[in-house]
Amino acid sequence: MAIITDQPEREAPGTELEVADGTSDHDDTPRTGVFARPTHATGWREWLFTVDHKKIGIMYGALALFWFLIGGLEIGLVRLQLWAPDGEVISADFYNQLFTMHGVTMVFLVIMPLANAFANYLVPLQIGARDVAFPRMNALGLWIFFFGGIFLNLSWFLGGGADGGWFAYAPNTGMTFSPGHGMDFYALGLQIAGIASLLGAINLLVTIINMRCPGMSLLRMPVFTWMILVVQFLLVFALPVITVALVLLTFDRTFESNFFDVAAGADPLLWQHLFWIFGHPEVYILILPAFGIVSETLPVFSRKPLFGYPIVVLSGAAIGFMGWGVWAHHMFTSGMGPVSVAAFSATTMFIAVPTGVKILNWIATMWAGKVRFTVPMMFSVSLVAMFTIGGLSGVMHAIAPADTQQTDTYFIVAHFHYVLVGGALMGMFAGLYYWWPKAFGYHLNDRLGRWHFWLMLLGFNVTFGPMHIVGLQGMARRHSVYGEFDGFEFWNKIATIGYFFMLIAMVILAVNIFRTWGRYRRGVEPQAEADPWDGRTLEWAIPSPVPEHNFDYVPVVTEVDDFWHKKYQPDETGKLRRIAHGNDIAQKGDQHPHLPSPSYWPIVLAMGLPLIGFGLIYNLWIAGIGLLLLVGSMFGWTLEPATDPDAGHGHGHGGHGDHDDDHGGGPDGHDDHNGVLAASTANGEAAGD
Amino acid sequence: MGARFLRRLGLVLLALAGLLLAGCATGRLDATKPIGQEARDIDGLMRLSGWMAVGVGIFVAAAVVTIIVKFRAKPTDDPDDLPPQIHGNRKAELTWTLIPTAMLVFLTIVTLPTVFALADEGDGRTIKVEGQQWWWQFSYDLDEDGSYDIVTANDLVIPTGEEVNLEIHSNDVIHSFWIPQLNGKKDAVPGRIHQWRISSDEPGIFYGECVEFCGLSHANMQMRTIVLTPAEFDRWVQEQLDGQVAAQAAPAPESPEAAGAALFETHCISCHVVDGTYESAAGGNANLLAGIAPNLTNLMSRTAFAGALYETYQIGPDGEYLRNPDGSLRLNVAELREWVRNAADMKPARADNQQGMLDFSEVLTDQELDNLMEYLKTLGSPPVLP
Repeated sequence: MAIITDQPEREAPGTELEVADGTSDHDDTPRTGVFARPTHATGWREWLFTVDHKKIGIMYGALALFWFLIGGLEIGLVRLQLWAPDGEVISADFYNQLFTMHGVTMVFLVIMPLANAFANYLVPLQIGARDVAFPRMNALGLWIFFFGGIFLNLSWFLGGGADGGWFAYAPNTGMTFSPGHGMDFYALGLQIAGIASLLGAINLLVTIINMRCPGMSLLRMPVFTWMILVVQFLLVFALPVITVALVLLTFDRTFESNFFDVAAGADPLLWQHLFWIFGHPEVYILILPAFGIVSETLPVFSRKPLFGYPIVVLSGAAIGFMGWGVWAHHMFTSGMGPVSVAAFSATTMFIAVPTGVKILNWIATMWAGKVRFTVPMMFSVSLVAMFTIGGLSGVMHAIAPADTQQTDTYFIVAHFHYVLVGGALMGMFAGLYYWWPKAFGYHLNDRLGRWHFWLMLLGFNVTFGPMHIVGLQGMARRHSVYGEFDGFEFWNKIATIGYFFMLIAMVILAVNIFRTWGRYRRGVEPQAEADPWDGRTLEWAIPSPVPEHNFDYVPVVTEVDDFWHKKYQPDETGKLRRIAHGNDIAQKGDQHPHLPSPSYWPIVLAMGLPLIGFGLIYNLWIAGIGLLLLVGSMFGWTLEPATDPDAGHGHGHGGHGDHDDDHGGGPDGHDDHNGVLAASTANGEAAGD
Repeated sequence: MGARFLRRLGLVLLALAGLLLAGCATGRLDATKPIGQEARDIDGLMRLSGWMAVGVGIFVAAAVVTIIVKFRAKPTDDPDDLPPQIHGNRKAELTWTLIPTAMLVFLTIVTLPTVFALADEGDGRTIKVEGQQWWWQFSYDLDEDGSYDIVTANDLVIPTGEEVNLEIHSNDVIHSFWIPQLNGKKDAVPGRIHQWRISSDEPGIFYGECVEFCGLSHANMQMRTIVLTPAEFDRWVQEQLDGQVAAQAAPAPESPEAAGAALFETHCISCHVVDGTYESAAGGNANLLAGIAPNLTNLMSRTAFAGALYETYQIGPDGEYLRNPDGSLRLNVAELREWVRNAADMKPARADNQQGMLDFSEVLTDQELDNLMEYLKTLGSPPVLP
C-alpha cells in the first residue's frame, strides 16, 4: 500500500489522510491483471493518470485558458492589421490563417472545454454523485481534447494554419484552392476534438440521468446541471453531423473523392447545410452552459430563489429543440428559394422567445432582492445586459432581407461577440470566481477580480460596440485590408484600443490566479469555507476544496435548492428565518469510500489519434502506428484490473483499512468494473424517492 | 451611491454620443444610405427592427440599472433577514412570453412580403455576372441571341430606371455579390445560377465587393456599378461596340503600339482576350483555375483594374477624378505598368497555383513594358461617367 500525502495546497481541513497506518507491502501485492493500474497520487503523474472528475475538470479549464491566450493573441495581430487602411502589418495569407484559427480556437478549444470544465467539476457535485458514470472514459475525453488541440495548432509550424475560415466553405477548402496542409489539420483536428466532446457528452448524459442522489427528480435539479444536460443532447446529435462533413472533406483532400467537386456534379451547398446543421446547435452548446451558471449565481447573490424555475428550465430545453430548426439563417444569401428563406426567417425569430423569457426571469430574480455585487455577480449581471444586446441584433438578422445587408459584415461580428463574449465568456468568468473557492480552497482576490471585470466590460464594449457601426457602414468580415475611402478607420482604431483593454484584463486574471495561488500556498490566503456565498446547491454542502470522494454520505434531496432550505425555515409567522449556517451543516469530508483507480490507458489511447491524423496527411505508415497504439490501448484498457493492486481501495487515500459502513447509503460495495462508478447504486436510490 | 452612479452613467452616455457623432463620416459601402428601391425596402425593415431592438434594449438596461441602484444589498442589512421569496408568477411570465411573441409575429408579417418581393424578377435586361478569384466579369447579350456582345470586368454599367436582372455565376469557389446601396448580397455558387435584381433612379457610381470569403485575395475582389441615364448608357454600349472594331485595326508598323501588340500576342493571349483580335483564350484557359482572365477589349473604358482595386484614372484626395488641361482623364500609368510587371506585388495572388496573374518582372524589359502600355492604351475609349 502506497503511503501518500496529498499536496499541501490541495489538502483541506477535515480531509486528514490516514497516512500512518498504511501497510507498506505494496511491492508484494499480487497484480490481478496483465496490466497493473497506476497508483500515483502525487505529482504530475497523479494528474496524467487520474480519473477523478474534479482533476479532469480543472485540466479542461487550464487548457481552455491556455488556448484562450493563444486565440486572443492571434486576433491581436488581426486588430493591429486593421488599425489603419491598407494595413501592412501581416500578409493576406497570414491574416486568413489567423482569423480562421482564432474562430476554431475560441469555439472548439476555449468555450466548449471551458463549459466542459464546469460540467465535469460540478455536475457530479450538484447531483450528489461521487464521480461521473465512466471515469476512465472521462479521462480519455480530456486527453483526446488535449492532443486534438495540439494537433490542430501544430499546423502553424508545418506550413501554416487553416486558411478557409472556421466555416470552411467548399470548394474553397478543397485541395485545388487550398493546397497547403492547414485545412487537413483543421479537418482532422476537429474530428479528434469531436471524439472528445462526444465521449464527454455520453458520459455526462449517463451521469445526469442515472446518478442523481435520492430525491433529486429532474425538476429538482440545479439549473446549471439542467443546461448541461440539454447541451449534452445537442452535442450527441450535432457532432455526428460535423463529423460526416469533416470526413467528406478529409476524403476529398486525401483520397480525391468528389463530394465537393463541382466539376464532378457536386453542389457546394451540401457542405453549408451540413456545417450549419451542426453549427447552429453549436451556438447553443456554447451559450447554454453560461445561462446555467448565471441561473445559479443570480439567485444566490440576490438571496432570492430563481424566478420561475420550471419556465427557465423549460425555455432552456425549448432553445435546445428549436435550435435544430434555424440553421439555414446562416444561408439567407446562398441562393435558397424564397419559401426556405421565409421559413427559416420565421423560426429564427421565434427562438428569441424562450431566450427573452430567460432574460426577463433573471431580471425578476434580482428584482426586489438584496443584491450583493461580488465579482461573480458583476460578471453575471453583465451577461444579462450584454447578451441582451447580442440577442436583439440576432433578431435583426432573423429578418432575412435585412440579413442580406448585414451578413458577412462586422455587424455580424459584433452580434456574435456580444453573444459569445458578452454572454458565454462573461458567464464562464462568473462561474470561475464563483466556484474557485470550491475547487481550490481559497478565493480569488476580490480587488483584482474587480479590475478584471471592469476592464473586461469596458474593453469588450469598446472593441465590439463600434463593430455594429462599421458593419452597417459596409465593412466586410474577413477582409485583410480596407480602403482609405471606406470610412472605416476611426472605429477600427477604437476597436483595436478596446482589444488592449481586454488583453490587460486577461493579464490581471492571470496575475490573480498565480498570485493568489502563491499566497495560498504560503498560508497567507485564508482557507475558504464550505459555503462562502450562502449557496443553494449541493456542491456547497461539502468542504472546500472538495475532497476526492466528494460526499461522505450521499445526500437526500426533498426540494429544489434543498441545501438552502436546510439553512432557512419559516418561523411561526411563516417568514423564512435562518436556522443554520452552511459551514456548520456541511459534510466534513472525513470519510474514505472506494474510488475508481487511476489508469494509464486513457492518455496512451488518446495519443494514437493524432498519429492517425499525421498519417493521413503525410504517410499512411504513421497512421498504422497510430492505429496499433489505439487498438493496443483498447486491449490494455479491457485487460486492466478493475482496481489498483491495493485490492479495491481508492488511490490518494492510501492506507485506510477501515471498511466501516458509514458511507451513509452512498455508493457502497461497487467495485468500479470497467470504470462504471456506482451507476447502479445511485440509480436505484434516486428512483426511490 | 445611486445618484453618483447615475451621474457617472450620464457622463459615459454623453461621451458615447460624442464618439458616435465623430465616427459618422461614412464611406462608399454604407448600407444605411440606400439608393436603389430594393435597398430602400431592406433599409425600412432594418430601421424598424433596429428601433424595436433599441426599445427593448433600453427596457432591459433600465431594469438592470434599477436593480443595481435600488436593490443593492446594504451593509446595514440583517444577514439573516431575507428579501421577499418570490418563486414565480404565472401571469407575469405569461405576459412576458406573449408580448415578445406578439412583437415577433408582427416582424414576421412585415418581413415575409419583402422576402418574396426580392426574389421576383425585374422587368429590365439581364446581365450575366461571373465571380472568380479575385475579380468580377459582366456580360451583356444586347440582341438576346444567346451570345454575349459585351464582356467587361470590374464596372457593371446599367441604365437608370430599369430593374436589371443579374444572373450570378461563379467559375471557381463561392463568392458573394454586393452593392450595398442598391441591394443586399447574393452568393455566386459554382454550378448554380442565382437571380438577383438591382435598380437605381439616380445616376452615380456605387461601390461593392465580394463578401463571401473566397481565399487569399478575398479583400481585393471589388467592383462598382456605374448607373447612367438611358441616353448615356446607350452611348456606353456604342463605345464598347466601337472599341471592338477599333481593336481589330492593326497598329502602325514599327510603332511602340505594334511592338506592344507583338508582346501581347507572345505573353498575354494565353489568358486574356481582345475581341476579334486575340481570341485564343476565349473558350476558357487551362492555365487558370477559374478558366478566364479579364477580357481587355475595352480596358481603357473601365474605371478600375485588378479586381477594381486600382483606379484606371488618377483621383485626388477626396476621390474626385483629376483631369488634364484639355479636360481628359489622367491615366494611372504608373500603377497599371507596375501591375503588368508584377501583379502579385500589387494584390496578393498565387500564380504558382494558377490563381492570379504571372510575374513578368523577370520576363519583360522596361522598354517592353512601355511598349505594352502603349498597346493597352489603344484598347477602348475613356469611360462614360455619370
